Amino acid sequence: MTQIEIIDNPELDETRRALVLTEDRVGHYPEFRDFFVRRFALNSAGLSRPGYVRAPSGMIYALVFIGRSGEPFPDGIEIYALPQALEVLDDTNVDRDLWALLRWIIEGVGGEWRVEDLDATGRLYQLSAATAG
Amino acid sequence: MNAEPRATEEPPSRFTHQEWPYEPRFKRVNGWRMHYIDEGSGDPVVLLHGNPAWGFLYRKFVKPLTAAGRRVIVPDMIGFGLSEKPMREQAHTLDGHIANLTGLLRQLNVCNATIVCHDWGGPTGLGFALSNPDRVHALVIMSTWAWPLPPAEFHKRIFPWRMMHAPVVGPYLLGRHNALAGRGMYLSVVDRKKFATEAQRVYEDILPDPGSRLLTWTWPRWIPLDESARGFARFEWLERELKRSKFPTLLVWGREDEVFDHKTFATRFKKLLPHAEGPELVTGRHFLQEDSGVEIAQKINHFLDRIEGRPS
Repeated sequence: MTQIEIIDNPELDETRRALVLTEDRVGHYPEFRDFFVRRFALNSAGLSRPGYVRAPSGMIYALVFIGRSGEPFPDGIEIYALPQALEVLDDTNVDRDLWALLRWIIEGVGGEWRVEDLDATGRLYQLSAATAG
Repeated sequence: MNAEPRATEEPPSRFTHQEWPYEPRFKRVNGWRMHYIDEGSGDPVVLLHGNPAWGFLYRKFVKPLTAAGRRVIVPDMIGFGLSEKPMREQAHTLDGHIANLTGLLRQLNVCNATIVCHDWGGPTGLGFALSNPDRVHALVIMSTWAWPLPPAEFHKRIFPWRMMHAPVVGPYLLGRHNALAGRGMYLSVVDRKKFATEAQRVYEDILPDPGSRLLTWTWPRWIPLDESARGFARFEWLERELKRSKFPTLLVWGREDEVFDHKTFATRFKKLLPHAEGPELVTGRHFLQEDSGVEIAQKINHFLDRIEGRPS
């Protein structure tokens, strides 16, 4: 079911970073922070590089992890789409990609966090990305 | 963001609506530009909203209260309505919001005030009242809480509450999609058709961009779920000080409220404040002001008339 693929060394020439989502407090539920640490080997990688993923549209996204003094790392995440440098983002595609990313995150966090509950939440709030697929 | 102090306190734009014909006013508090309205004259009644509302929630209260000879002050919490909206979650703390309200009401030299509070207007408004008792005359408490644990059953569940504001999910669902100001409020009123026609767009449009909606997923994260939570000590203080307080108090609750159900929450306030009147139940879910605004305003007038010895 996972439509997200981690990319180690994406080709970044002629792309730009377009900020699409910011999370200031990834450890609000600490299991979410643990997921990112595990998936992107952040205990060893630290701030040396972003995490890169390919989403269902084919777009690559950079997950930039944010550290703050006195807080466990990462404290925040900025998610950037990496479109062609001079091209406009397709907002519908970005929205679907982000939804797929959320499903991947929830699946990876696991435990009491279930993709079924994310889907139900998306349907309750009538999100097109949640009802489309 | 909270950059250099500006020379002007004027708003970037003016909100116009037939049910909100009030002069926008602004004060700078703790470095932020805070919007409020200040109508009528007499002893002040301060109407405090919560998440994700703004002063508009009280549009049906203003005329009945001013007509009864009362001054009505309705602030927009920093982060909501026409007030400045910080862009970082770290800008928002419970103590900071209490201090923001305190800053505004001291600048307005508010004394002998009735504090009317709802949702996060509860912890902030009660925080003001308990730290400035010499400025407060009475309390009206609606659909809120003032103790650390336990939260409502609703707030402990993954679906939909904790999922809605979970890391990364919150900025997507409540930020990109404005889910709380739109669908969330719609689900939390009784007359949904009327709300959709009269008000829903106003609440959605006042938070036009994802960055302007930050507080809608930040406040849910401040509800203590266990003893390690931020704000836990402040809620302990609220409960302790509220229990000691003697403010005349009216409890008003929505019969259909499933977020802070009256059997649990109004009952607990009654135990903390045995002298409180009520709970007086009205038609309403969590946003009871939308379904019963005029009726609640009349209840406030009658309550204040009683405790002030004025004929209703």
